[in-house]
Amino acid sequence: MNYSFDFAEVLAELPYLLGGAAITLQIVFIAFFGGALLGLFGALGKVYGPSPLRRSINAYVVFVTNTPALVQIFVLYYALPDAGILLDSLTAVVIALTLNSAAYLTDIIRAGVVSVRQTEIDAALTLNMGRLQILRHVLLPHIASTVFPPLSNFFIWLMLGSSIAALFGVEELTGRAINISTANLRTIETFIVVAVIYVMLTLLASGALSLLGRRVLGVRQRLV
Amino acid sequence: MWERIWFEAPGFFTYHNAIFFLEAAGRTLGMTAAGCISGFVFGLILALLRQTSSPAFLPLRLIAIAYVELFRRIPFLVIVFIVLYAIQPLFPDASLFAIATIAVCLVATAFLSEIVRAGLESVPQQQIDGAVTLNFGPLRTLWYVVLPQAWRVIIPPAVAFAVMFIKDTSLASHIGVIELTFSGKMFLNRGFSPLLGFGTVLLLYFAMSYPLSRLGAYLENRLAPARRS
Repeated sequence: MNYSFDFAEVLAELPYLLGGAAITLQIVFIAFFGGALLGLFGALGKVYGPSPLRRSINAYVVFVTNTPALVQIFVLYYALPDAGILLDSLTAVVIALTLNSAAYLTDIIRAGVVSVRQTEIDAALTLNMGRLQILRHVLLPHIASTVFPPLSNFFIWLMLGSSIAALFGVEELTGRAINISTANLRTIETFIVVAVIYVMLTLLASGALSLLGRRVLGVRQRLV
Repeated sequence: MWERIWFEAPGFFTYHNAIFFLEAAGRTLGMTAAGCISGFVFGLILALLRQTSSPAFLPLRLIAIAYVELFRRIPFLVIVFIVLYAIQPLFPDASLFAIATIAVCLVATAFLSEIVRAGLESVPQQQIDGAVTLNFGPLRTLWYVVLPQAWRVIIPPAVAFAVMFIKDTSLASHIGVIELTFSGKMFLNRGFSPLLGFGTVLLLYFAMSYPLSRLGAYLENRLAPARRS
């Protein structure tokens, strides 16, 4: 078995691959922040909401976190046209990943919401703060610093998980790797280069997140 | 949409289809179990290598660190592709199931190594010093002193990891392993309603994953207080 590695053809496509990495980042940012917003409301509803709301949020979280994202996207991708809703693959994947992230982030943010002590809310009420003011000035800063480490880990995890978009024809990093490798037939080399790009991306993200955590929130925990 | 499901259901929920789904679910569980068990063994070895301090072990230590840090930063799908295209030319007879299982093992080793390492580090140094004083060798110290105490810290996150991997093996469907997700695709291609096929697949995943995640939560509550004493 003689195989000589040849990275030249793959490296010539590096700008194309990095363009794919930019699309990966877009998917991750939309899914993460969309999911975090939904997750925040989910967490608040799960802690402070009435019982039926709490139970339905819990059912959603348990079901979504116990089934694969890939199959969830399949359902959205193939079943929605049946119901008369047509989505292009990028939109379907982004919506599915956002809804998927929302479930995980509800659980993560809930742990932060629970960590807020009643005395803090009482103090804010004494200062005559409204509901939104309490959320903005008391709950969010507290929740943010408590959940920052698991949140950052989830961000990295989502970055890796977003590669399944490739299976639906989205031309993000992995998708473009599949495109290139079917053309140049340097499959191994292409995917090794792509693996290196993913390692770089996640290392950059880890560095940026831990800097952000230290500077803005004063969190000093080791991240993935 | 619902009329279609209602209409197709009798042809879908047949004895042979049930057997087919169960066999596919069995392959999903098989890949997960093989990955977790071998990942635990190799992960333990890597974690132990990272704990060594003599200069002679430095290269091995660096390899262990590099392995763990790299494989946790590459998407599982990309690893599946690399393993597929690396193994197929070398071993043309290798089954797709074996290839997918190897990919699972590679990733599981990296993740479980970190979990095991956290467990090993949770054992107080005095315990190890005590064992050394009693003239225990390294292996006996590990087996009789460190591991019995590290279990409490290792098991809950390891179970959570297994839950994650039941879901991740769904990506093996892409290279053609006939596991649970693949069976959903097959029923789609046979013309059944996507909600019927993939809905069943979702429920079967849930049936495998939910008991395990409940077990993980139970063990975490059960073992956590003991950790503090």
